[in-house]
Amino acid sequence: MFDTQTPEKTVTSDTLKFTARDVHVYYDDAEAIKGVNVDILDKTVTAFIGPSGCGKSTFLRCLNRMNDTIPICRVTGEIRLDGQDIYDRSIDPVQLRAKVGMVFQKPNPFPKSIYDNVAYGPRIHGLANTRADLDVIVEKSLRRAALWDEAKDRLDSPGTGLSGGQQQRLCIARAVATAPEVLLMDEPCSALDPIATAQVEELIDELRQDYSVVIVTHSMQQAARVSQRTAFFHLGHLVEFGETSHIFTNPSDERTESYITGRIG
Amino acid sequence: MTDLSSQSVRSHLNRRNRHQTMIKGFGMAAIGFAALMLFILVSSLVSSGYKAFTQTHVTVEVFVDPAEIKPERLPRGGFDDVLLASLKTYFPDVSGRADEKALEGIFSNGAQFTLRDRIVADPGLIGQSITMTVPTSDPFDQLAKDLVKRDTPETQRRVSDREIGWFDTLDQAGAISQPLNWGLISNTDSRFPELAGLKGALMGSFWALLVCFVISFPLGIGAAIYLEEFAPRNRLSDFIEVNINNLAAVPSVVFGLLALAVFIGWMGMPRSAPLVGGMTLALMTLPTIIIATRAALKAVPPSIREAALGVGASKHQVVFGHVLPLAMPGILTGTIIGLAQALGETAPLLLIGMNAFITSAPDSPLDSATALPTQIFIWADSPERGFVSRTSAAILVLLTFLITMNAIAIYLRSKFERKW
Ligand SMILES: Nc1ncnc2c1ncn2[C@@H]1O[C@H](COP(=O)(O)OP(=O)(O)OP(=O)(O)O)[C@@H](O)[C@H]1O
Ligand SMILES: [Mg+2]
Repeated sequence: MFDTQTPEKTVTSDTLKFTARDVHVYYDDAEAIKGVNVDILDKTVTAFIGPSGCGKSTFLRCLNRMNDTIPICRVTGEIRLDGQDIYDRSIDPVQLRAKVGMVFQKPNPFPKSIYDNVAYGPRIHGLANTRADLDVIVEKSLRRAALWDEAKDRLDSPGTGLSGGQQQRLCIARAVATAPEVLLMDEPCSALDPIATAQVEELIDELRQDYSVVIVTHSMQQAARVSQRTAFFHLGHLVEFGETSHIFTNPSDERTESYITGRIG
Repeated sequence: MTDLSSQSVRSHLNRRNRHQTMIKGFGMAAIGFAALMLFILVSSLVSSGYKAFTQTHVTVEVFVDPAEIKPERLPRGGFDDVLLASLKTYFPDVSGRADEKALEGIFSNGAQFTLRDRIVADPGLIGQSITMTVPTSDPFDQLAKDLVKRDTPETQRRVSDREIGWFDTLDQAGAISQPLNWGLISNTDSRFPELAGLKGALMGSFWALLVCFVISFPLGIGAAIYLEEFAPRNRLSDFIEVNINNLAAVPSVVFGLLALAVFIGWMGMPRSAPLVGGMTLALMTLPTIIIATRAALKAVPPSIREAALGVGASKHQVVFGHVLPLAMPGILTGTIIGLAQALGETAPLLLIGMNAFITSAPDSPLDSATALPTQIFIWADSPERGFVSRTSAAILVLLTFLITMNAIAIYLRSKFERKW
C-alpha cells in the first residue's frame, strides 16, 4: 500500500529524548489534548498524524513550550526532556527553545538577509565569539539544510526573496544553527511543491543522524517515507503509537486503520 | 444544472448589476463632491492669496546726508528725513509738513529701519549716495496690485488722486517693482502688512512641533508597546484602551484648558511659549500615536513572532528585534499624521496665549511666539486690507507644510509596504 520498505527506516536508537505522561492541554475550558503518554526517541523521526483539529500541533507546541505564548492555553501533566521536567519553574522556556528547535508550516524567514536569518539564533545565544565562528556556523547550517550551493553567492540578499522551498530550507537552517537536540516540524512541506518536498524529506532523513525529529504531517506517504515511529492522534487522544511500518501495515486500532485508509479525517 | 438563461436568473442578475452600478455611482458622486470642495477651497485661497507672494517695492537713490545722520549719534539720526529727501528729487514742489508726511507715506514704515541698519552696519556710507529698494506701504501695494480700484470715487479710496499721481510718476520713472515677497517668510510679525512675515510663526510652530515630537513619540510608542505586547489582558487594560480611544476624540480646546490650568496655572510655565504649546499638542498627539503604533504592531504577522520565539528569542528580543522594526513604517506614518494634525491645531494654542503680537522670532522653546495657525488667526482678525491676502497666503504656506507631511507619510507607507 505505501512505500515503506526502504531498509534504513528502522529505529536505530533507544535513548529516550522526550517522555510525556498524562498530558492535558486546555484552551480556556476546551480540552484539546486529553491525557497523552508518549516516548520520543533520540536520533529518530517521529511522525504525528491524525485528522485536522485532533491536537497534533497543540501537542507539538507543548514540547518547546510555544503554548506559553497563548494566554488562554493551559498545560497539565509531565513532559521530560532528558529526564528534566520542562515545565519546572527552574526551566527557562527561552533556553528550552534553543535546545528544541521548531520549523513551522508556512516558511517564515525574517525579512533580513539570508546570513542574518541563520546567524540570528547563534547571535542571541552567544554561540559564536567571532565573526569567523559565525561564518562557520552559517555555512554548516546552510549545508545541513541543503541550501548552501544555492545561497552561498547571495548571503546578503533578503531571505524573503527565496522561493517557497528555499525559504523552508532556510528556516530549517535557522533552526539547526542553534545546535538543537530536537527539531519539531509542524507540516513543514504543506506549502511546498513535490520537488521541494522531496528535498526537505531527504534533509529530515539526514538530520536524524544527529537529532531527534518530530514531524506533523497530513500526508500518510510522507509519514511512511520519513519516519521510524508514528503517533496517531484522534480528538485529543493518542490512539496508537509505534513503529511506522507496523502502524501502516498492521494497525491495531480500527480508528487508525480507517484513517490511514482514508475513511475518516 | 442551473439554467442560467431562465427568466428568474436573468432578473436576479439584472438587479444585482443595478445595485452595483448604483453603489459605484454614489461612491463616485461622493468623491467628486469632495474633490470639488477641495478645488473651490484651494482656488479661492490661491486667488486671494497669490498677490501676497509679491510685494511692491520702490527703488530710490538715497543721499545719506551727513547733516542729518552723524556717525557719533548712531543708531539715531534723521533717517526718515533722508528718505523723504530722496523722494523729493522726483517731486520738488511738495512742501509743508502735511504734504511731506503724505509723500513719505509711500515708503513702508520699516524703510527707515532698513536704512538705519545698513548705515549702522557700515558707517562709511555716510556722505555717499546709495540705492535702496524698500517696500511701499500697504495702500500703494494695494494700488499696484489693482486691489485699490482707480475708478472708485476719491472719497471712498484709500489713496488720493494726488498720491496716485505720485505713484504713477515713480512707476514711469521705473522706480516701482514687484519682486517675490521673501519677507513673507523671512520677516516676523508686524503691525504693517507690507512688513509682516511668518518667520516668528514658522519658528514657533517648529519649536512646538519639536517639543511635541520629543514628548509624544517615545511616550506613545512605549505605551503602545507595553499595552500591545506586555500588558496582561484584563479589565484594567480594557479600561485603559477604551480611555485612550476616548482621549483621541476629546475636542482640542479641552486640552488647551487643561494646559492652561496645569502647565501655566499650576506648574507656572511661561505663557505663549512653544514649550507649553508643544506639551499641549503632545497630549493630543499621544493617543493618535498610541493607536497607530498598536495597529502597526498588530499588523506584523504572527509567523514572524513565532519564528523568533522558535529559535529561542526572549519576549523583548522578539518585540524590539523583529516586531518593532517591521512596524516602524506604520508607526512613522501615524506619527507624521499626528504631527500634521498638531501643526494645524489652533484652539489649544489660543488658550495658552500663543496668539500674542510678537515681533521677534523665538530663539528657544521658552521664548514667546505664535504658531502658523494662530498667526493666521491674528492676521484674519486684523483690520488692515493688506492682511486679507496675507492671511490667504499664510494659509497656503500652512497647507503646503501639511500636504508635504502627508505626502511623506504616504511615501513611507508605500515604500515599506509588506516586505515579508
Ligand atoms: N490558539 C487556540 N485557541 C483556542 N483553541 C485552539 C487554539 N489552537 C488550537 N485550538 C483548538 O485545539 C484543537 C486542536 O488544534 P490543533 O491546532 O492542535 O489541531 P491539529 O491537529 O494541528 O489540526 P491541523 O491538522 O488542522 O493543523 C482544535 O479543536 C482547535 O480548535
Ligand atoms: Mg496543526
